[in-house]
Amino acid sequence: MSHGGDQISAYLDGELARPEVDQLFSHISSCGRCAAELQHFQSVRSAVRSLPLLELPPGLVPEVDAELIPLHRNRGFLVGAAAAVVALVIAIAAILAPSTAAISVEELNSRYGARASLDPAFGPAKVVVPYVGEILE
Amino acid sequence: MTESVPLTWEEVARVYGRKIYNFAYRLTGNSDDASDLVQEVLLRVRKGLASYQPGSFEGWLWRITRNAFLDDVRRKNRRPTAPLPDEVDRWDRASAPSADLEYGRISIGDDVQKALLELPVEFREAVVLCDIVGLSYEEIAQAVAVPVGTVRSRIHRGRKLLRESLT
Repeated sequence: MSHGGDQISAYLDGELARPEVDQLFSHISSCGRCAAELQHFQSVRSAVRSLPLLELPPGLVPEVDAELIPLHRNRGFLVGAAAAVVALVIAIAAILAPSTAAISVEELNSRYGARASLDPAFGPAKVVVPYVGEILE
Repeated sequence: MTESVPLTWEEVARVYGRKIYNFAYRLTGNSDDASDLVQEVLLRVRKGLASYQPGSFEGWLWRITRNAFLDDVRRKNRRPTAPLPDEVDRWDRASAPSADLEYGRISIGDDVQKALLELPVEFREAVVLCDIVGLSYEEIAQAVAVPVGTVRSRIHRGRKLLRESLT
């Protein structure tokens, strides 16, 4: 066959069919020039591929930032998070209440669950520490 | 490569924005032109998504991207004060150091980037789509609208010129 030519790049890119690969290496085994070419092209390919992946300049695509914290999705997340924390508080209360607190699960649910669902400012950070503390008193 | 179609252009921006920017930066060699190109591509994606026909989304997106790049090159070439094609590269290289310094990610004397900018456009885009973006030959062929054999030849010839430039 003639020299490897663009089969060399195609091989390096995994774009060469098996018969062509066999043909190429059969040739390379007896052609020092193409063996050297294979090494050179591998080096060039690696050099380009090792260029760093650049970050998007800040603010180039504002919508990308907005997408990360969409208003509606975020609001849903907060409500869901508050509900999850309340459920956790209730679960802890169910375990601890009989011996440590004279408060029922229903009372906790109505007192804190209602507040969590009505008060938008009722976030997870405000819930966890004080309310668990109250339960334990 | 995924064939699923993002629902909105914002999704395209989020998923592909960085890749498009890197494609643009490696082709133009400077952050300002790359940024302009990203915005132009996303604008075209927003307009085009409504009429997008299911198929190879990658091929569709990168066809838009490279067409936007070529339109930009042609527009610059039409300007009376614009440099000739070979000089576009020199002009781009001249402004590259500031971008490099600004983001501090690559050295000012980036030989590989310089060598890329010295390639003819058709070889440069083929090499960048293959080695930076990571497209297959088939996907590049769809994006550039040439046969796969031509893609293979362009990538190989591009690498050959890179090697000569780097040694």
